[in-house]
Order: sequence, then C-alpha cells, then structure tokens
Amino acid sequence: MGSQPPMTPQPMGSQPPTASQPPMASQQPFGSRSGTPQMSRPPFQMTSGQFSPQLSSRSPSPGFPPPPTDKAMPQSPNIGNASPQTGRHRQKYPDQMGKAYSNGPESLPGMNQGPQQPPQFFVPGNMGQPNMMQRDLQSPGNNFQNPMNNFQNPMNNFQNPINNLSNSFSNMNLNQKNVTSVSLFDAPPNVQTIDNCPEPVIPAQFCMQSSEKKNPPYGYCCSTLNAVPQNNALLQKSKIPFGIVLSPYKNIGPDEPEVPVTSPEVIVRCEICRAYINPFITYVDQGTRWKCNICHVVNDLPAFYSWDSKTRQAVDRNTIPELNSSVVEFVATREYTRGPPQPVVIMFVIDVSFQSIQSGMVATAARTILSSLDNIPNYDNRTKIGFVTYDSTLHFYNLNANLTEPQMLVVSDLDDVFIPAPDDLLVNLSESRAIIEAFLNKLGNMHKTTQNVSSALPAALTAANKILGPIGGKIAVFQSNIPNCGKNSLKKREDPSLYNTPKESTLLQPADHWYKDFALDCSKKQICVDTFIFSGQYTDVATISTLPRFTGGSVYFYPGFDASRAEDATKFSSELNRFLSKKIGLEAVLRIRTSRGLTIKGTYGNFFLMATDLIQLPNVNPDNCYALEVNIDKDLTSEKYVCFQAAVLHTSNNGERRIRVVTNVIPVTNNLTEVFANADPRAIAVLTAKKAVEKTITDKLEDARNLIISTCVDIMGAYKQAFTSSGQASKLLIIDNLSLLPVLIQALLKNIAFRRGNIPSDIRSFALSVLLGSPIENSLAYIYSKLYAIHILDANTGLPIPNTSEVYMPPRINLSMQRMTQDGIYLLDNSQHIIIWLSRGSNPELVNALFQKPYEAIPSGKTTLPTPNNDYATRINNIIEFIRKSRLISYNNLPYVYVVKEEDNNRGWFISHMVEDKLDSELSYPQFLSHLREQVNINY
Amino acid sequence: MGGEALLFLFAAIVSALLLFIMVYFIIMFSDLECDYINPIDLCTKLNQFVLPNYIAHAVLTVLFLITGKWLTLLFNLPLLGYNIKRYLDNKHMFDATEIFRTLPYDKKESFIKLVFFFVSFFLYLYGMVMAILHNKSLYA
Ligand SMILES: [Zn+2]
Repeated sequence: MGSQPPMTPQPMGSQPPTASQPPMASQQPFGSRSGTPQMSRPPFQMTSGQFSPQLSSRSPSPGFPPPPTDKAMPQSPNIGNASPQTGRHRQKYPDQMGKAYSNGPESLPGMNQGPQQPPQFFVPGNMGQPNMMQRDLQSPGNNFQNPMNNFQNPMNNFQNPINNLSNSFSNMNLNQKNVTSVSLFDAPPNVQTIDNCPEPVIPAQFCMQSSEKKNPPYGYCCSTLNAVPQNNALLQKSKIPFGIVLSPYKNIGPDEPEVPVTSPEVIVRCEICRAYINPFITYVDQGTRWKCNICHVVNDLPAFYSWDSKTRQAVDRNTIPELNSSVVEFVATREYTRGPPQPVVIMFVIDVSFQSIQSGMVATAARTILSSLDNIPNYDNRTKIGFVTYDSTLHFYNLNANLTEPQMLVVSDLDDVFIPAPDDLLVNLSESRAIIEAFLNKLGNMHKTTQNVSSALPAALTAANKILGPIGGKIAVFQSNIPNCGKNSLKKREDPSLYNTPKESTLLQPADHWYKDFALDCSKKQICVDTFIFSGQYTDVATISTLPRFTGGSVYFYPGFDASRAEDATKFSSELNRFLSKKIGLEAVLRIRTSRGLTIKGTYGNFFLMATDLIQLPNVNPDNCYALEVNIDKDLTSEKYVCFQAAVLHTSNNGERRIRVVTNVIPVTNNLTEVFANADPRAIAVLTAKKAVEKTITDKLEDARNLIISTCVDIMGAYKQAFTSSGQASKLLIIDNLSLLPVLIQALLKNIAFRRGNIPSDIRSFALSVLLGSPIENSLAYIYSKLYAIHILDANTGLPIPNTSEVYMPPRINLSMQRMTQDGIYLLDNSQHIIIWLSRGSNPELVNALFQKPYEAIPSGKTTLPTPNNDYATRINNIIEFIRKSRLISYNNLPYVYVVKEEDNNRGWFISHMVEDKLDSELSYPQFLSHLREQVNINY
Repeated sequence: MGGEALLFLFAAIVSALLLFIMVYFIIMFSDLECDYINPIDLCTKLNQFVLPNYIAHAVLTVLFLITGKWLTLLFNLPLLGYNIKRYLDNKHMFDATEIFRTLPYDKKESFIKLVFFFVSFFLYLYGMVMAILHNKSLYA
C-alpha cells in the first residue's frame, strides 16, 4: 500500500467516524457562538462600539504581510521542551506562497472568545482540544439509574450565564450595529476554535424555570442559525442557508450520558400537529393543560403528570425525563406496533471469486463473524442469520439445526433466481449455533482453489432480497470485484480522459438504474444494505453505493485490501465486529415537525424520502447523519421562537418499539446583526457539503463547486452590504463568529470529493459518501484535518485525563507547511487516516524512542507502531489509540496509521491535506481570500 | 364531413385525453404533497402515462405535417421539441428518489402542458367547425 501513487491512498478507511467528541453535555467556558450561555460576555453585546476594528494598518495584499522571520513560527512549536533539541535553529519549509502570516492568532481580536493562552507550558484544558476533555470531567461515567440527570446537571452551574443570556435576549434590540468584524486578510484562521462547538442553548423563555431545559447537545442536532430571521426577506438578506444537521440516533461515547428512556402510561402528543410532549411546552390553567410549542394549541395534560396514584403523592415534574430532557426515548405503547417487532436479521452476501479468496477477505470475514457471534444483539434468542456466497453461480447454505454438516446448494441460473430450501437458509442464531460455527470454520477454505473471476452481485442481491422479504433485516455485502456477471452487471467505465471535464460527473452517478430500484424495493421491505468493498481495481463504487444510500446503510471501503498485512486485517475485522455488535434501530421512520411558517425544502443523507417531512429508514444507523434545509414561508413576527422536533419510531435491539424524540428551539429575531452573530460556520460547512454531494450526484461536479463557493461569497457579500461602509473594499470583513467560514469552505473545495485533479472515480465516490453520511464532528475533521505537532509535548499531553476515557491532546495547528518545521514530527488526523509525518531533520532521539529504529530504517506506509517502554512513545501511542478508539465508536472507522517521510512518494498525499497552501490548480488561503474579495466586490 | 374535419375532430379528442392525463398528474402531485400517496406508487402510476402521452402528441404533430396544416404544426413544434429533449436527456420518467426535489418543476411542467392541451382542444374544435363550414359552403 505504501507504494501507491500519492493520490490514491486517501480513502483507505471505510466508515467514517464521527464525534470523537461527546455531546456537549456540560459547560465549558467558551464557545465561539454568541448566544451560548457560557460566554463570558453576553451574546448580543458586541464588544466595542464600532465594527471592523482597525486591526492592522498593513495593506491587505493577496498574501499575508511578510513576517519577521522569527515570528513566523506558529503557536505550537516553541512551546514546551519535551525534546531537548527543538529549541535550536529551525528552518521553515520552503516558502510556498512566498509570504507568511504576520501575526499569530493571539493577536486576533474577537476571533476566539475561548481561552487564548499565551505561550506557556501545558495548561490542560486550555487549548482547543483539551477543552472537550475538561468538560467531561464533570459528567464522568454514565449512571444508568437516572441518566436524565446527565442532560441537566451541568446546567446548575450556569445560573449567571443563563441570566446573561436571557438579559441579552431581552436586550436584543439595543445593540443594533455593534458588530465585531474580522478582517480576514490580517491573520490566519484560528483553527483551534473549530472544535469549540457551541454548547446547547437554554432558550430564554425557559431559563427562569426551576429546572433549566436546554437544547440537545451539538452532536444530536445543530442549526446553521441560532437566531432565526423573522421573515424570508431577512433570511434572504443574510444569505445564510438555514438548515439543521441531525443525528438523532447517534453513537454514544464512553463519557457521554445515555439517552433517558421513559415509559409513561400514555405517550402524550398534541391533538393537532401530533408533536410529542417535550421540555419546551408551556403549562396553562394551573398546569392542568399544556400549550404545544409547535402549533400553539392547548391540550389536556393527563393526570399522571400531576398526581401519582400509586404513591399517592404529587408528581415532581422536574424528575420526568420527557418534560426535562430535549433528547428522550419513549417506550411505545401498543398503538405504535404493527405485528410482532422485527428481530435482528442479517444476511451475509459474500463474493467468493478469485480476488476475494486471494486477498484473504473471505477468510478474515469468516473468522471475524465467528468470533463476533456472541456480540450480535440476540434478545430473546430471536436473531436470525444466513449466508449467500457467489462467483458466477450462487451458493446457498442450508444451516438447519438438525443437520450435522452445513449443506451447500448451488444455483447457476442467474436470470431467474430460484431459492432452494427457503426455510433453512435464514436460521435462528441460537438454535443453529453449532452448525453456523461449523460453516464459518469451513468458509475460509471452502473456495480456496477457485479460479473464477466472475461476480454475480445483482443475482445474489435478488436472492437475499427474496429470502429476507417477508421479515426484513440487513444485507451485508462483501464485494471484491466489479459485478461483472449476469443481469445488471456493471462495466469498467472508468475513463481518465473524462477527469476534469463536465462528463466526469457521469462516472459519479449510478451506471444502472436497477441498483436504485433494488434499493427502493429493499427500503419498502424494511431491508437495509451495507456494503463492504475490497478492491485494488475499479469497482464502480458510485453504483454500488446507491444501495446503502437509499436504505440507510453505510459504505465501507478497503481499496487494495490484503489480509496478509496485519493492519488491513485488523482494520477490517475491528470494523466488521463493531458493525455486528453496534446498536441499531430497525424498521424505522423519522418524522420532522417544524413550527408553522417553516417548511422543509431539502433533505440530505442516506435514506429514502417518503414525504417532505418523513424519512424511511429500514435501519436507523447510528453512524449516519441527516441534514435538512428549511424555508421560511410565513412571517414569524408573532413567534418568539421556532421549534424542530425529530421523532424516530424504531424497534430497538431488545424488541421494543421506541420513539426517540429530539426537540430543538431557536429564538426568532428581527435584527440582521443577530442573525449573523448567531450563525454557526461548522453547521453551514457541513450542510453545504451534503448539499454539494447531492448536486454532484444529480448534476455536475462543477455545479457542486460553484454551490460551495457561492455559499461563501453570498454570505460575505450580504455581510458587506449590511455592515461595511464604503472605503473598505480592499478588506474582506466578516463577523467574528463566522471567521472560520472561508477556511472551511476552502477546505471543502479541496476535499478529495470536490477538488480538481486526476482523482479515480471510486475514490471520489467514496469521499462523497463519507461527506453525505457522516455526522458533524467526523465531517469537520474530514473537511479540515486535525494536525498536531508531536515533537514537542506539553507536560500533560498524551496522558489520560483522570476519570475519563480521553487523553490530553496537543493543540491543533493550521494546515500549512509554513506552520511546520524541518525538524518536526507531525500527526495528521483526517478522520479516515492517521498520518505521521517525519521530516528529514526530525530529532533522532524522538524518532528512535517512537519507532525503535533510526529514520532511514523506518518503512513508510501503513504501520503498527511498536509500544516501547518510554515516556514519549507511550504518550504518542495514547494519542493515536485515543483517536482510533473514538473514531471506531463514533463512526465505525478504525483509521490506519501511516508513516510518510519527507522524501516519500506519498509526500504529495500528505501535502494535499495542507489546504491553506497552494495545491496544483487550487488556491492557497490568501489567494482564495483575494478571489473571494474579488467576487464579493463584483457581485455586491 | 370531410377529411380535414375528421382530422381536427381526432386531434380534439386526443387533446382532451392528454388534458385529462395532465389533470390526473396534477391531482397526484398534490396528493403526494399531502402525503396521501407514497413516492414509489406515484412514480409507478405516472410513469405508465408518460410515453403514451409523448407518442400521442408526436403522432398528432406528424399528422399535421402530412396534411400540411402548417399553422397548427408550428403551434405544436415547441412542445414536440421539448418532449424529445426530455426523452434524450433521459429525464422524462419520474424518479421516486428525486421526486421531492423535482416536484416544483414537474408541477409547473404539467400545468403548462394542461393549459397547452386546453388551448389545443378549442383550437382543433374551431378548426373542425371551420372545415365543416368550408365544406358546406363549397357544396351549397
Ligand atoms: Zn401542536
């Protein structure tokens, strides 16, 4: 793998991971978005009186002003001294832009309200990343007894900021024009603030009640606008796309609270709009009735919310989960169930053609499934599994518990698939356990001598669909080859001469309509398809990934898989094991309710859309994330806030019908300043990414690029029109909380999914599926990789944070070669891979401590680091393990560790992550800003 | 009744049929918006009418060409061209996975076609009446 051409190794990973950060369950004294309670200043009081502080008198030239050389070293490297030699003279990397930033982020006004530490030795929790950890000190562990508390606890510390917030909401109209603008040319983006996802907000209306009720943690639901414009005209004036990024069923990290489960006698819903009762309703008539926060209709409140007839006591409503937690799971009563709930059903559809056997995929899969049998959710012993393998014929396996040996049944008519022994192909896992084990033990060697290079995937899928049809379930496809046999087979249509032409997008669209139709049929029968793709050759990921896209599944991609490499085998088997053991919701639908006046204009993600507000999900997959774009149809003047409620009706793994309800309220404003001041660049970037993926698949790649860049130009232009006086045309100004927007947008344009260049279409298609499906934290890391200097560590860096499962991380640094030194060692986490960059001048002691080898002897490519017994290696291994573990949990992706040395062939791959530098035909960050300024000045 | 009158009568009947199909489309689209029908059923139902619709219109246009009704031919050409383009772009069928995205466009298209067939219907009736009157005046 190490010898791959520089471009290709990129999407080696499979399932993207997400939120290495748990939901922001407790407070952290920072956050870049105004309107969050924890800010030290009230959200709407915009610092000093004037906007556009005269940051710098330097003329904003396309590049940043030339720096005094010794200052060009960015934040991190000078700090700390874990390595003895680093203090010495340090050469910069060849100056790609010819210019460097002059002032470090420290001097940026307003860009980061967070802890701007002066250069110093480690104050844990002080720099971007560690903050997440400090937060978790406060809600360690999850107590099952009263998980709800975890959602609320942190609030109590918040009285003051809350009051600030409510004051600020009441003062909304006072500070009309006090905007802190940031002149983008004056300083590089402060990437440490990317991780400072806004804390859940306590809506002003609810902050004075005895129990504080706050919006869901960031990972569950976040909005691009945390103050909603009063009418469409105001929204159009801001040009900010209004949307919600939702992961209602997200994975829960080890330090995160579980979602409270509640089973009231009756699930109380609004008579008119059918919204579920939630913390943001208001009580009327002395608490005997409630007013719906979505449609404002007043409903009766059942007596059990006031009086507990068993204990004969008044009920304390502050202890009832559904009245206090904005994320809650109802156990459904009988009226929500049709027939018996679906059991867990998994049909393994495995390619056993020559390539699959040769790469060791089949043997690894068989071994992993065998060892994971105990981890497959099997409540009440109802779980069923079955196997179909295929090359140019289909092989079914009779696993009836009464047999002594598994029987293989071969069907060679691919056109009209006949299912032999239909009752014995899908068997009860517990009853047939012995024979399943016998089968899996054999499977690895069964087709060992095959020379068959054909792969009849469509026929195998049809067969699996027929077998599962009556009950629904999950089809797990393991494919090593382009499906080249039988009806609806695919051709090798990759054609490098189409790269960078308008025709390129045809390669990214499904080649055959059958795959989409099949996916819809599966969706109807409550079947989810997940695809594991292993191939060094063209496999037409674009077409195959249609299957999971419309059935709520995921794509796992292992290009050039070779099980004889320990790294490949470990990655695949860890992910497959987690795939089998993770919690999923079955036969699910997701309904989104919004306040009157809002309508859903677009929905993005892996699912089939049944109605504009109804998403069909055969499985609700915790690795997936959905985005909505919203229109404001009516004037919201009479509303104080708008409300979104997402409800996922699903069958949980214990066979219970449940409804996961996530409710989010956002205040309404008539003030453009507040719209801007409460916009979230992270959510905007992620929503834009998902929209652009859709655009690529339905239109052209170039249209998607235009969509991305025009989103940014429009916002900057709208801001300029509203808040900039004339004479500032040479500057590029944006409100401080959006200062990361241009760099995120630029990074998105340079993502392998959208950038120009000769990128194989399989790789592009996989990148598109990562961006479309992955939750917000994973998407952000995938868009703007996390880069750390690891040759200088602070006192705590790499040590575990007490009482959590986390590790103190080094500070993030900007993605630019100029931020790196020629004697440094760097670690880059792009959410799919962990890349260790070794410079030629890297400190030999550190290199030796980490690799137990001198620089010259270290092989580049995929690596498993040794675990020597020294402090430095332990810390680095801790960091790597922490990243890998959290990605595996949050997005079922175990990143490979790669070593890239300065003079490697893979060097270009590493450098392609440096999105602030110039790359081929793509602009450097300062050039991109000039381009933006030009566009803004032309159009606005 | 002369051949010309028969031609216009036939055209009027076909237009009326196409008109009804468009009314049906529009009703189905609003059903979809109200959640009375799911996108898959909608698309199966509508797609069976798409090609007959295109073919009927194309046949009419060809008839006008053969009989040398230049004005009515001219009237029909833009729609024929549009239909051919949709067909060549492979966008003539409704796709259940994209229907919500394309719905505003589809509704507009169906409405314009509805108006078009409505106008055609009366135009052809008028043509028929004129042809009959013309015939009568010849033999009277
Ligand atoms: Zn209601």
